[in-house]
Amino acid sequence: MLELKDNFRKELKSLKDYILLVTVDAKSYQGTVIDLVKFLVNEQNIPGVYVTLNKPYDIMQRTFASNNIDTRLVIFIDATSRTDGSKKVENCLYIGSPEKLSDMSVAMDQAIKALPDDKFLIFDSLNTLSIFNKPATVARFIHFLTGKMREWKIKGIIITLERETEPALLDELTQFSDTRIDVGGES
Amino acid sequence: MVHLIVVSVTTVIFGIASLLLISRARKRLSEGSIKRYMDNFAICLAFIVIFSVWQTARSIFGISIDVEGLATYPEYIFIVFAYIAFIFASFRVLKISEEFGFKEDGEKIGQIVKQKSSKTKRLARTKKIKKK
Repeated sequence: MLELKDNFRKELKSLKDYILLVTVDAKSYQGTVIDLVKFLVNEQNIPGVYVTLNKPYDIMQRTFASNNIDTRLVIFIDATSRTDGSKKVENCLYIGSPEKLSDMSVAMDQAIKALPDDKFLIFDSLNTLSIFNKPATVARFIHFLTGKMREWKIKGIIITLERETEPALLDELTQFSDTRIDVGGES
Repeated sequence: MVHLIVVSVTTVIFGIASLLLISRARKRLSEGSIKRYMDNFAICLAFIVIFSVWQTARSIFGISIDVEGLATYPEYIFIVFAYIAFIFASFRVLKISEEFGFKEDGEKIGQIVKQKSSKTKRLARTKKIKKK
């Protein structure tokens, strides 16, 4: 994971706010996520929002805690656990379904605005969003999200599995991002 | 009388326009709390619009405004329904604020960040002193 850290530091150290697209292969996914959060929370002492569409909050919390990541600095938005409507527990908001994009947007906006000055938002992941929503909806949501990340002046990170993401969408997103880091895989 | 009719018709037009706008907004939203709140709000507005339509119709057709008269009762019923719907809408807003409100979490996180950064500074200072 040194590759990620080096790229990350080299590309973005000087920037206060940015949009970073991280494309990973399935094998590197877990490690990349942990390294990203560890770098931001533990090394840079930045609080943030973690939007998970892949694994439930409990699992993410446990994984982060076992890797000595201070989860007190992270607000989780869990869109993968199926619940009846939205539900808030500790520092996590359960959206109920990855199809509820309006609720997800409002939750992200509120969570980001509640945090102090320097903050990050990690969106995990774009390819999972594509499973549950139509391509046009995903494209519009991503356009909205990148626009909002600029408006919020945050460190925005969008993670996706390169192989599972539509090339056109990936190209468009690369265009909106400040930089793209490819971890693992052929690229 | 004419003035009253003009005001009533204008009110009805505004009400219907609002309902159309809500319907357009609703189409753009995906399922969830925000959409449900919008439904509640639309119901409140619909009752008020029906009330206005009823009142306007009475003004146009010249039915006397008499508390005893049967024609006035539905108006009151619609207004009562509108207020009941408002209660539900307000309750929905309260739920939304509980779910989506992160102000307290943000303040707690802010305190932790401050504590951690002051701790780091202290440690760095101690290290410097030890080096000297």
